[in-house]
Amino acid sequence: MLATLEFKETRDTPEVLLDKKNNQFKIKGNSLPEDSAKFYFPILDWIQEYIKDPNKSTHLICNLEYFNSSSAKMIYQIFIEFEKIKDTGNEVKISWYYEPDDKLIEEKGQEYQSILDIPFELIMSK
Amino acid sequence: MNIDTTFWFFDRIKEDNLCLLYNGDFSDEITNKLIELSEYNITNNVNSLSKMKKKASFLMAECFQNIVRHGESIEGKKFATANEGFFLTKNWQDTYYITSGNLIENNKIEDLERQLKKVNSLNRDELKVLYREVLENEMISDKGGAGLGLIEMARKSGQKLEYVFNEFDDKFSLFYNQILLKPSTEEKNCEDNCSFEINEAINYHKEMIAKDILVIHKGDFSQDAIFPVLKIIEENLQREKNDVVSKKKIFHILVELLQNISKHCLKEGNKKEGIFLIGRSDNYFTINTGNIIENEKVKVLKTQLDYISSLNQKELKDLYLSKLRERNIPSVDGAGIGLIDVARRLISPLNYSIQQLDDKRSFLSFNVIA
Repeated sequence: MLATLEFKETRDTPEVLLDKKNNQFKIKGNSLPEDSAKFYFPILDWIQEYIKDPNKSTHLICNLEYFNSSSAKMIYQIFIEFEKIKDTGNEVKISWYYEPDDKLIEEKGQEYQSILDIPFELIMSK
Repeated sequence: MNIDTTFWFFDRIKEDNLCLLYNGDFSDEITNKLIELSEYNITNNVNSLSKMKKKASFLMAECFQNIVRHGESIEGKKFATANEGFFLTKNWQDTYYITSGNLIENNKIEDLERQLKKVNSLNRDELKVLYREVLENEMISDKGGAGLGLIEMARKSGQKLEYVFNEFDDKFSLFYNQILLKPSTEEKNCEDNCSFEINEAINYHKEMIAKDILVIHKGDFSQDAIFPVLKIIEENLQREKNDVVSKKKIFHILVELLQNISKHCLKEGNKKEGIFLIGRSDNYFTINTGNIIENEKVKVLKTQLDYISSLNQKELKDLYLSKLRERNIPSVDGAGIGLIDVARRLISPLNYSIQQLDDKRSFLSFNVIA
């Protein structure tokens, strides 16, 4: 079984949990590293392994407070990898959370929704 | 504040390793970050002063307390709360300057000046005696001052306190004081070798008030240095606007522009140097940035920036989304997507200027309103 990948939140990188065993997938917090590729490469590697033999149903929770534009590109890459799960005949879904008055994060979610071919729901946090 | 304001300041402080100018609110949260930022800069840029980091922090804290304790509230726009004031910290060669300014009632000047003259007339040992005397005997004044702060500043800095009173109106004056930190312990009279006059700092403050500028920062823009700055701005935004939308928008623009400097500026030594200014107006924030670039990069950059400036909102969004979908991995040199996303959030097109400094270098500045 693919080992769980877990990153604790730091000042400029988000909390990440990719847990195949317990079927939990989430990214949460702030993402504004200067070198976003360096942070996101291990995450992309993990997902590329995971999609070879994904769970029956995969649900990614995105709860981002803020991310810079280079993180935006890497987050898109993550979504593209998750999108591939559809080809394996398994289910995949992304939930994008935003605070009620946070137009920036809401708009970023809408943009991803518009360019992805995957169930992508926008949820206003309570 | 317009696009030329950036170079006005940059040109005056270009020799500094670090220069932070602040004209705004002094909450604990903000003063802590100002100290954190200065500590970072001392540690990383001023080797000869790194042993004095604690001392510098102490002196800054004293200055801030003076501002908060003695600052007077005044009706009107420029000084909305009692905690507003001016603060400058700069490092030039091996000297560290700390200047602060706050409003004081005109009728309190005489007493304060008497205390300052007294402190400046004493040598190290006499100051120690006075310190103990005040500590043991004197009543604490209603604002908790008791002159101890001034005595401590003089003792810790080992220099005479430099000060100026500038009339603000018929009721208030601005009280400025400046202290210097030097690696050598010998007592030096500032009049002999002061390369940076307190009046120059006062000029900066005047310019900041006239142009409604909140923060100016010239220095190292690597991530560790940017963070305290971002926190200071975030705190200020929280006070200035309740509107989460614009707060986050300003934060986003700032992150992108500062990381842009860090990525694209001409690196001299290890440092990633630039300058940024944040100004406020009734409904908007103005952000200016400036940094040195190599002349050979100007042509390509100009083409890119002119293109971005020429696009309308719809076109900018389409360009952003197409960049997002490009399968290249963002390199440390930037994703090429940041400025596009910045331009999408402005009330007017991305404004920039490039001026040649010499046959190798040019100065690139941005002026954005959001």
